[in-house]
Amino acid sequence: MNEDSLYIEEFLNGDEKGFEMLVRKYQDRILNIIYSLIGKDRESEDIAQEVFLKVYHGLRYFRRHSRFSTWLYRIVANTAYGFLRKRGNVVGDESALENSVTTRKDPRESLSMKEREAMLQKALARVPIKFKTAMVFKDIEGLSYIEISRILRCSIGTVESKIYRARQFLKDEMLELGGGSV
Amino acid sequence: MRECADIERRLSRYLDKEMNDADRAMVEAHLAGCPLCKKEMSELARLKGLVMETERKTLPRDYLVCRIRESIADERRAIGRLSLAGMGIFARRLIPVPVAVIIVSVVFMIFTSMQPVTKSSLEDYIFSGRAATTETALELILGSQN
Repeated sequence: MNEDSLYIEEFLNGDEKGFEMLVRKYQDRILNIIYSLIGKDRESEDIAQEVFLKVYHGLRYFRRHSRFSTWLYRIVANTAYGFLRKRGNVVGDESALENSVTTRKDPRESLSMKEREAMLQKALARVPIKFKTAMVFKDIEGLSYIEISRILRCSIGTVESKIYRARQFLKDEMLELGGGSV
Repeated sequence: MRECADIERRLSRYLDKEMNDADRAMVEAHLAGCPLCKKEMSELARLKGLVMETERKTLPRDYLVCRIRESIADERRAIGRLSLAGMGIFARRLIPVPVAVIIVSVVFMIFTSMQPVTKSSLEDYIFSGRAATTETALELILGSQN
């Protein structure tokens, strides 16, 4: 029995500490995935909280055919997607990044790390979430294609295609924002 | 060019080390002889590196746990209020009924316990064939004062 299963058992036996251990273990990972998907600090925390509340209420119905993390990441993807859909924006939100990114006028001008980071976040926010989710699971969380296919309930070929499309989008956006180079 | 298009679509998978040996060898052979695809490959690799190296956010250990605890407590309070409000509606409508039944029963029991036992029953009276007035019937039911 792995660590997650032990925590789940504890929780299902009435000890809320089991659930709290799961939150502590996954909170930063979940926050970073959500932030990469929606691009907003404060709202990322709110969505992370919403994700764990769904876990709290749904854990007793979690059938252990898959790993807990797979189930959790699926909730993350659905909650982030739901958040963007509610706002009528399934691409992402770059408005929060508007003031933090200064578009380069001269392509030869080198970018500082902070500028590059801000530019990346802005470019990421422009990538449609239907492609971006797979790329975020791959590059931020380091999951394999097969794990991503289980989370997104699609074939490995579809995961490959989504990641390819997301990187093409991201590259184009970075080129546009950066004025010439990735 | 068609080969380049095919390879370009596979570059992400190659970059992610999700390819079998045969496909990887094929991509590497193409990259060795194609500067355009090689350039595309190095751009994708830099991009992947940028995404992977983005600054990671961390939360204080119990920050989210506390927020979730509060949220669950709020939910429970809301459910409690809802239940009490629901109980109130039922209470207003239904509680007077059992109360009234209990009061009537108690009064009836007190009243009947104060009556002496009758010598003859209502059935005896009926079978005797005598005409019964309302007063006589009540006396037989509730008990005679004599």
